[in-house]
Amino acid sequence: MLWFLRGLRKGVVTTRYPRERDAWTDGLPSPPAFRSDLLTPTLAGRLVDACHSGALRLEGDELVLDLGSCGGCGDCVRLGGEAVYRSGEFELASRDREALVKRIPLGGAG
Amino acid sequence: MNDELRLAGELRERIDGLFGRSLHIRTFDSGSCAVCESELRLLSSPYYDLHRLGLFFTPAPRHADLLLVTGAAVRAADAALRKTLEAIPEPRLVVAVGACALGGVFEEDELVHGRVDDVVPVDVYIPGCPPSPLALLHGLLVATGRLEEKVQALSFDLRREAVA
Repeated sequence: MLWFLRGLRKGVVTTRYPRERDAWTDGLPSPPAFRSDLLTPTLAGRLVDACHSGALRLEGDELVLDLGSCGGCGDCVRLGGEAVYRSGEFELASRDREALVKRIPLGGAG
Repeated sequence: MNDELRLAGELRERIDGLFGRSLHIRTFDSGSCAVCESELRLLSSPYYDLHRLGLFFTPAPRHADLLLVTGAAVRAADAALRKTLEAIPEPRLVVAVGACALGGVFEEDELVHGRVDDVVPVDVYIPGCPPSPLALLHGLLVATGRLEEKVQALSFDLRREAVA
């Protein structure tokens, strides 16, 4: 009974997900999102080298992001400056493994 | 052919309808570091409360509808994994959880397959290292057709999304 009253007083409630998305989920580790217009081949190469989990690779003039491999560590976000941001996405489940592979064109000069 | 597709679609809907009210989950650790398991365990906490969505963990594969596999599919677990899947009555679903199970961490060698796909057919993939309990909930609801996939519409290219 005590835990119940304490819960009422503190307002501890079960998440309403999936009806509502909790505000704190913005802070969850999440894969990167890229500003492809600022993404130069040089920077992309550095990002690929920095990725611990091999989630990034270069294929021609595209940066390939495999969400299935990404652990959301955020190293590429720290390295990428204005070109890389946290995507804030956590609802990534898919029936199709290939749908988790994203191709980002390298748009930046240099 | 069209008839078969239609029948398959109707069957899928019926299965989703039944699983949507009550789905029993058997977890299988195929060489995970146990962080995926710690997130899975959180689903039973009062905050996530997976029972409110008609989801339940069960230790018995015979009672399960869904096999949830974590880990990089070590070869030593092959027989156990296949037997666990066979013990689950049809219709059944297989969900691969975490970067290891999706082929993101370990490359195939004499010890591991590196991905769960290589051992059992996977219906839904949940990425993350580890996936948060909410990501797991989303994946389980996608597996039972109660939520739509989101990831296919995402490009992870901010410029393209700004234009669109």
